[in-house]
Amino acid sequence: MSELQLTDVRKSYGGLEVIKGVDLDIKSGEFVVFVGPSGCGKSTLLRMIAGLEEITSGDLTIDDLRMNDVDPSRRGIAMVFQSYALYPHMTVRENMGFALRFAGVPKPEIEKRVTEAANILELGALLDRKPKQLSGGQRQRVAIGRAIVRHPKIFLFDEPLSNLDAELRVHMRIEIARLHKQLAATIVYVTHDQVEAMTLADKIVVLRAGVVEQIGSPLELYDDPANLFVAGFIGSPKMNFLKGVIENAHEQLHVRLPDYGEATIPVSLAGAVPGTTVTIGIRPEHFNEQGPASLDLTVDMLEHLGGETFAYARHGNGEVVVIETKNGRGLKSGDSIVARFDPACALVFDESGKRLR
Amino acid sequence: MKNPARAASAVLTYGFVGLMAFLSVFPFIWMVLGATNSSIDIIKGRLAPGETLAVNVAKFFTQVNVPLVFWNSAKIAILATLLTLAVSSLAGYGFEMFRSRRRDGLYRAMLLTLMIPFAALMIPLFIMMGKAGLINTHIAVVLPTIGSAFIVFYFRQSTKAFPSELRDAAKVDGLKEWQIFLYIYVPVMRSTYAAAFIIVFMTAWNNYLWPLIVLQSNETKTITLVISSLASAYYPDYGVVMVGTILATLPTLAVFFFMQRQFVQGMLGSVK
Repeated sequence: MSELQLTDVRKSYGGLEVIKGVDLDIKSGEFVVFVGPSGCGKSTLLRMIAGLEEITSGDLTIDDLRMNDVDPSRRGIAMVFQSYALYPHMTVRENMGFALRFAGVPKPEIEKRVTEAANILELGALLDRKPKQLSGGQRQRVAIGRAIVRHPKIFLFDEPLSNLDAELRVHMRIEIARLHKQLAATIVYVTHDQVEAMTLADKIVVLRAGVVEQIGSPLELYDDPANLFVAGFIGSPKMNFLKGVIENAHEQLHVRLPDYGEATIPVSLAGAVPGTTVTIGIRPEHFNEQGPASLDLTVDMLEHLGGETFAYARHGNGEVVVIETKNGRGLKSGDSIVARFDPACALVFDESGKRLR
Repeated sequence: MKNPARAASAVLTYGFVGLMAFLSVFPFIWMVLGATNSSIDIIKGRLAPGETLAVNVAKFFTQVNVPLVFWNSAKIAILATLLTLAVSSLAGYGFEMFRSRRRDGLYRAMLLTLMIPFAALMIPLFIMMGKAGLINTHIAVVLPTIGSAFIVFYFRQSTKAFPSELRDAAKVDGLKEWQIFLYIYVPVMRSTYAAAFIIVFMTAWNNYLWPLIVLQSNETKTITLVISSLASAYYPDYGVVMVGTILATLPTLAVFFFMQRQFVQGMLGSVK
């Protein structure tokens, strides 16, 4: 187990800066997930940690040792790739033992470690097969096994489940969580799938355009996003955003929603200036039948998931609001509904997207 | 077939394909039949099996030092093939894997050399070989072939399909660049190597003009040169020439059939 630290880490390709000063502390045994939209720099950052991309400026330390110029194989890391990156001409056993062979580890020790990893990942029966004879899930387990045998300080996962089908992805997600618990390993994991991020992470790092937008536990990010981007990125279906204006009425601040029939919701925000435009964020599950604030909507489309229903309801202004309801089985397209919510659940963001508290 | 238009189309298609196949195979058939006939029968245009095969074979083995010329050809073809594959695959790998501002300019310049006809290079090459003291040596035949722009191009195009994550994984596993090339790239790209082997081996084995210029003594001559000299005699014995041609074809046929599956895979792309 090991600690990893990034201090003002930057990466440029020519004049184009793609990682713009990342500071991050990863504690020993932590499971940290980088999430963000395509092109946000999450994989580049992971590759910089691995040593596959040069760090333009800033410091990368592992266990207090500066690693910027250290060869990937000497950083004490192991990496699992999206495409598995198994050597196609080698058997599972050879793939798993390859790095150890090059590191000069004696044969009996290689055999011992490969057997250990194969037992952990239930790969014993597949050791003499070539990668092309394995299913996607088995290949992914071999890729993880190849990382385990090296006894690395830090595991790096680059979108490891992206090539798997939905069912296998859920299964492998549980396997990885189990493995983290079993090995008590430090893991840095890149994904664009926020369900993976929410279910696996101790700590999520949300990136956008090479900048860290917020770092926190999954529920911290979900309940208490720092800005509009994080609020919209974390959560599925995503948070609803409604345009509003802050007003002062009867010595109480309100947000008036001019696009929603002049609905108003009381808010208590330090530093809110009456007259300014804001965005109100409400999660689909925060709509209910009793809340004091309300929106008049018409059901456009329904997604019945069994336990709950997502109603995509349109307001007269054309905006669509997503509502999660447990009692949606009787609903049908075209129904008029009144969606109510508790203003305490609404998050307010200023014009720049920053959260107002 | 119920539809007459489709039937006519099929007849035309198969007729055309059959004609093309016949035109491709005919020289081979003529060569085999020619080896069984006397020179006079061949000149008369006889296209049936004759009775002089044994005589032609015996004459060929009498007139030609078969082991020596085959050894010369094999030595040149194998050496040229191995060196070409080594140099060209390294160049193709380098062109594809390493980014540099000059890379594409250099690559285009190299491709332009494909447009220079060999006739324009013959005399400068001969002068160079003369100055290096290599005239009448097999090295002089091999050297100009090993930096093949076409094979470099072929390897670079094939390397585009080589997964970059394999290279990354190998780096994390502790391999240096030359080890990645040797232990990962070469085995993964073996079909590309097989296809290139067949192309280069056939070209080297059948090479005629440059060896004709640079090899001057009988001890250094290759099978193609010997067959040519048999055919250009004052009274050429075409039956003997055909026997020589058949024997000269056998190694390239053997190489092709031995590597046929890999060749097809290599032409379609090594990495699946």
